[in-house]
Amino acid sequence: MTTNRISHKWGMVVDVDRCTGCQSCVVACQAENNIPINTEDVFRQRRAIQWIHVERYWEGEFPDVRARFIPVFCQHCENAPCEPVCPVYATYHNNQGMNVQVYNRCVGTRYCANNCTYNVRFFNYWEPVWPESLRNQLNPDVSMRSRGIMEKCSFNVQRLQKAQRVVEGQQGERLTDEKLKEGNYLPACVQACPTNALVFGDFLDPDSQVSHLKEEHLDGHGRGYKMLEHVGTEPNVIYLKKVDIHAKEVVKGHA
Amino acid sequence: MGITRRQFLKWSGVSAVGAVAFNGCLIPEQELQIESPVFLPEDLVNGIDNWYATLCRMDPEGCGIIIRVVEGRAKKVEGNPDYPINQGKHHARSEAGLQALYHPDRISEPLAREGDAHVPISWDEARRRIVDRMAGMSDRSKFLLVTQPLRGHQALLASEFVKAYGGRSMAYETLEQVTLRRSILEVFGQERLPVFDIQACKYLLSFGADFLSTWVSPVKYSRGYGELRQGSSRRGLHVQVDPRFSMTAANADEWVPVKPGGEGVLAMSMAYVIMRDGLGDQAAADALTGGGGHEALSAFSPDSQQVRDATGVEAGRIKELAHAFADPRNRPVMAIGGGSAGAHTSGLFNLRAIYSLNVLVGSVNTPGGIQFNPPPPLPELSTTDVMAMGVPASYREWKEMDRPQVLMIRGVNPVHGLPADANFRAAVEGAEFVVAFSSFMDETTAMADLVLPEHTYLEDWGDDVPDPGPGYQVIGFQQPVVSPFHAGTRGFADELMALGRALGLDLDSRLGLANVTDPTMEDLLKSGAEKLWEVDRGSVRASSFDGFWNGVLQRGGWWDTGTVDNSGIRNISPLDTAWPDISISDAPGGRAFNLVPFVSNSIGDGHLAHLPWLQATPDPITTIVWHTWVEMNTRTAEEMGLSKGDMVVVTAEGNRTVEAPVYPHPAVPPDTVSMPIGQGHTAFGQYAEGVGVNTLSLLAGLTDSSTGALAWAATRVRVVKSNLSIDIPRFEGNQFAEEADEQAIIKITKPE
Ligand code: SF4
Ligand code: SF4
Repeated sequence: MTTNRISHKWGMVVDVDRCTGCQSCVVACQAENNIPINTEDVFRQRRAIQWIHVERYWEGEFPDVRARFIPVFCQHCENAPCEPVCPVYATYHNNQGMNVQVYNRCVGTRYCANNCTYNVRFFNYWEPVWPESLRNQLNPDVSMRSRGIMEKCSFNVQRLQKAQRVVEGQQGERLTDEKLKEGNYLPACVQACPTNALVFGDFLDPDSQVSHLKEEHLDGHGRGYKMLEHVGTEPNVIYLKKVDIHAKEVVKGHA
Repeated sequence: MGITRRQFLKWSGVSAVGAVAFNGCLIPEQELQIESPVFLPEDLVNGIDNWYATLCRMDPEGCGIIIRVVEGRAKKVEGNPDYPINQGKHHARSEAGLQALYHPDRISEPLAREGDAHVPISWDEARRRIVDRMAGMSDRSKFLLVTQPLRGHQALLASEFVKAYGGRSMAYETLEQVTLRRSILEVFGQERLPVFDIQACKYLLSFGADFLSTWVSPVKYSRGYGELRQGSSRRGLHVQVDPRFSMTAANADEWVPVKPGGEGVLAMSMAYVIMRDGLGDQAAADALTGGGGHEALSAFSPDSQQVRDATGVEAGRIKELAHAFADPRNRPVMAIGGGSAGAHTSGLFNLRAIYSLNVLVGSVNTPGGIQFNPPPPLPELSTTDVMAMGVPASYREWKEMDRPQVLMIRGVNPVHGLPADANFRAAVEGAEFVVAFSSFMDETTAMADLVLPEHTYLEDWGDDVPDPGPGYQVIGFQQPVVSPFHAGTRGFADELMALGRALGLDLDSRLGLANVTDPTMEDLLKSGAEKLWEVDRGSVRASSFDGFWNGVLQRGGWWDTGTVDNSGIRNISPLDTAWPDISISDAPGGRAFNLVPFVSNSIGDGHLAHLPWLQATPDPITTIVWHTWVEMNTRTAEEMGLSKGDMVVVTAEGNRTVEAPVYPHPAVPPDTVSMPIGQGHTAFGQYAEGVGVNTLSLLAGLTDSSTGALAWAATRVRVVKSNLSIDIPRFEGNQFAEEADEQAIIKITKPE
């Protein structure tokens, strides 16, 4: 890769104890990323597209019953099972820790979706359609996908690229947490989340909030874990455990 | 050139400068670097955008938002980081404002009824017809203006219009907060809703209030909730007393499923235990009971069978709750109540008992408890008349209202939302002339003689005095962030002012705008802002008015964090110690269930059912989209031979029925079913029509005896299996999501 560039490793920390399942992140993502309208039919076909979605797990029976929520999106695995199976290199790892999808290379084999541990890849089974007037809302910074193309969470790469151009390219400063906030460059889900359950940042920046949280919760003895880490995907997303006053220690839920 | 967050918003107020800020003159370094032969297209695109601060009008909460505008088109809604209510955060419902703006079914020009159809007419002609009707009315009190609850200068304008003309006005809200407001007035002596300081609270007891989803000010409360959980080293607790396992209940540490209507009895019983066991504030206990102490509340002893029957909660549990609530180690504690807890024939009794618990343990006017909001800085915005515009009429008032001769409706849909007993449809049919200001052809608008298409809030001027406020004075400013998408729409306020002139009401001088020719809402706002500028304090101060005006538009409003109300409660009002009347309407036949209707997390009470993003947003508990469903306990459903998607006929008193699919889950009390409201539209555009059923059509119209508010949670229904079954559209099952054997998806830990 090219030299004299500031290196980054983008990632997220998700505090499951803050998440209320409110779905603000989901709609913010739909709006930012030109995700097709999920019609009733599309849901019935089990083909709805939500780059970030909230999973709900049940535990127990009435009256001793619990529902738990967790936002799930591409974990931007360091060791991504989706990458090697693509015959045309449409999905690859960039040098900032992100798993990237190149739409105009994708030929729609869907191997990557089959291989993804987290079910966060979505295929356009149909040509997305918007009524003419609603097209006015579409984000000019994000490519429109067509039928036969795979898509998924991009960490709002369009915002990050712009941020790097402006802050690092033009201003010659490092893209810190503060700079991301000031310029509205954080991913749309993070901006929206009313409870601040989602934290985005650069794991290579020792002063970033994600680095601090990683240090406290993952390297230390806090609540940090990576989803299905035993699979060996090495995600760039850290979850912080849900706190339950009834928990004996670590309890397992069921779907 | 460094751009700070503050500058970023500052530029947002002035269009041309914003563009420069985001489009610096240096060549972007990275575009010249060759990164990889397979670069994502997003890496190469750069749009020129501006962000403008304004207000969200999708919900009564009234968040401050910023809108990204590219080439004259609105692209994205985000929370205004400076605005005191939501501090940069926002809800899914705010986001979807863009779909209202660019909706394919928006009405783009005035329409007049001809026979069964509506045909386009000009604005001049439309105004002429209104003036003809209104000028010639012999009894002007037969003019009725129906709006959503209005605040700020819009409330001032509408109130002056109605007064000058000699007509009447009523505010409409589907599930009115009438009882909540009355209980706050009676318990705390406050006309404005108070601050619930969830952020600093350590033990939050909520009765029926779905405060994380739809209740009163959910974005603000959710923000506070995140802090309650993980904002400090001591994690706060949350207990939800609720007949339904709402999204909020799902997040609680403890869910106490209470019998619908028994919430107040439960709170009284807690008060009894707290007083009997010598906990809480002795002086407050005396004041609350007129010196009688716990003896005065003996009817509510948790050991009594009557309490057990009314609440469905064991005596031991009630004592535990009371002790936890009064335990000094749990402080600060707070009790809040609303939603279904206030929607009973005993609604006011319930809410008064719940809010009085705060008085009993000294959680009023304290951090982490209940705090009061000061009146707005401009006295003309808090006169009795103007405040009245913000208070919705009760169901009883709708039912008993005098039939109008000329009816003007703005932005609300009572024909869909009011239960049939209110006969609102008949009132519309009976009126000689009906004018609707509306962006969409909903059920009410479709009945109008004249349809006047409004600007959406993103195209129009306005302001807001949030209620509840954040604990200090705030006036939010709403500015047009894009020019009107359709040439044929106008602002409601502008048109009302023009009508006032055409009718010779002398509205302009009543509003202090006599020296402006043909003033508009913008002028009215500016005159208000000028007074605010003269106050010379708070978040925006400037040497010139122009500077000030630019400043408030750039920041999205004005506030003064120094204006807190520390007065506390002047007089503690005694508890109502008589046993409440808890009536439930019932129907014969089939298996009986308590019906708990609820407001949808996405489409709200139905006013957002026309927006596809929100229809497609999964319900948090069931993940259902684009539908109405019946939540039933898994075991009960099994007993009745029902499985997911089986259609049932739900029947309420008076043979009202709806048919909807069952969604069994483990967290429904066995004798309860719940259904979301807001669907079942026969009009309201392509995304709303024909989706689901209108749950509110089941209600028999019982009311709270003192406030007249609709007792919408006081219905018993009968459920009978039909022979149909459907695949309920939902997100669940879209992705394979099951806990793996080895490792949990959601890992859990006990508190430290
Ligand atoms: S989460 Fe799935 S799509 Fe994302 S990098 Fe990992 S395997 Fe690939
Ligand atoms: S917005 Fe935040 S709280 Fe809401 S579902 Fe998403 S992650 Fe959870």
